[in-house]
Amino acid sequence: MSDEAPCPVFDVRIADTGEVYQCPARETLLKAMARLGRKGIPSGCHGGGCGVCKVRVTGEVTTMAMSRSHVSETEERQGYVLACRCYPRGHLSVEVVGKLHKAVTRPRYGFV
Amino acid sequence: MGVMRIGHINIRVLDMDAALHHYENVLGLLRADQDGDGNVYLRGWDEWDKYSVILSPSDRAGMNHIAYKVESDDDLDVLRRRIEAYGIEVEECPAGALPDCGRSLRFHLPSGHLMYLYAEKTYVGKAVSTTNPDPWPDGLKGAGVHWLDHALLMCELDPESGVNKVEESTAFMQDVLDFKLTEQVLVGPDGDIKAATWLARTSTPHDIAFVGGPVKGLHHCAFFLDEWSDVLKAADVMAKNKVKIDVTPQRHGITRGATIYFFDPSGNRNETFAGLGYLAQPDMPVITWTEDELGRGIFYHTGELNEAFTTVYTEGA
Ligand code: FES
Ligand SMILES: [Fe+2]
Repeated sequence: MSDEAPCPVFDVRIADTGEVYQCPARETLLKAMARLGRKGIPSGCHGGGCGVCKVRVTGEVTTMAMSRSHVSETEERQGYVLACRCYPRGHLSVEVVGKLHKAVTRPRYGFV
Repeated sequence: MGVMRIGHINIRVLDMDAALHHYENVLGLLRADQDGDGNVYLRGWDEWDKYSVILSPSDRAGMNHIAYKVESDDDLDVLRRRIEAYGIEVEECPAGALPDCGRSLRFHLPSGHLMYLYAEKTYVGKAVSTTNPDPWPDGLKGAGVHWLDHALLMCELDPESGVNKVEESTAFMQDVLDFKLTEQVLVGPDGDIKAATWLARTSTPHDIAFVGGPVKGLHHCAFFLDEWSDVLKAADVMAKNKVKIDVTPQRHGITRGATIYFFDPSGNRNETFAGLGYLAQPDMPVITWTEDELGRGIFYHTGELNEAFTTVYTEGA
């Protein structure tokens, strides 16, 4: 790391909880949160494939390929991204959208 | 007679270069071919047919299809009749429809997953040859996996509305393709809802597995390693390559396999699975796991299901 150019670090605010963590520009929003042991955005495949880390972002980001099963082109234009495919380019606020599909109000049946 | 083993899986990837680094340098699969549409074909060093993995470029992660190899061409005629008699539509595809394969049968499991059966695929031989072979070849990369071992498919399960695609796909595999049920998870107030099953045609604990979830999907495809020490080395290889590991080396209670769950760069879950578990002979009694010990069935050491196990997976079609 020491031979790399200094990397800007931005604040990411999780709107749902008000928690704030720091994310370097070269790290995805999800990776930085997980590395710091923080919670708030559901963490899954870290590859843009499963959709659990879906957030709506306010602020400037760049994104890598995200599975269209989880973020349509229209949604992408509205600021929906997968946090594991998304790098900060400024201070950000995110709203958690991706839910772990989980039964909370009815009896569980093994896995569902 | 009938189905022999898993033949190949066709996985969709969002970034082919990243996928190739993962499947070639981390898992250690060997590249067999590439076609004009950008699909890449790979196999393990211990396999003899040309490929067991097809990577297809796509903007959606997940599985296109899974294919099983039958013993002889005649089996395809017999199985076609049986599948149709069961009420499932079958399309017979000409040789070459599956690249480097003879004619094939194409149909959907009751869970909706697309499956092919074929009898012939181009033979290329093992990397160690068949004459006075060494136990492993030189130049293996990464984990050096032997072969594609099995896949776990997520099937829609919603007992309150009477939907159980685990049960339906399991019955199809047993009744029509003559798979043997080796292990099952039974849940619900009366312990009679099949929430997961493991089935085999070989004498390994499973060649396919089904687990109930909210929607159909690909849970993982697994690659074989010999033993624990190989699994631990594979975990080191993954860490060196910053692969996202879902579950660090651990044992499954079910199948007794030594495992790592991890994700390819498109978020498709992979597994390195070590050990042959036990010999699943045709007369072996079915092993049942109850709902209260489900966590230990899946992750034997911790005894706890992780949140991601049934919520994080990619598309199944
Ligand atoms: S964690 Fe799976 S899409 Fe981000
Ligand atoms: Fe597995």
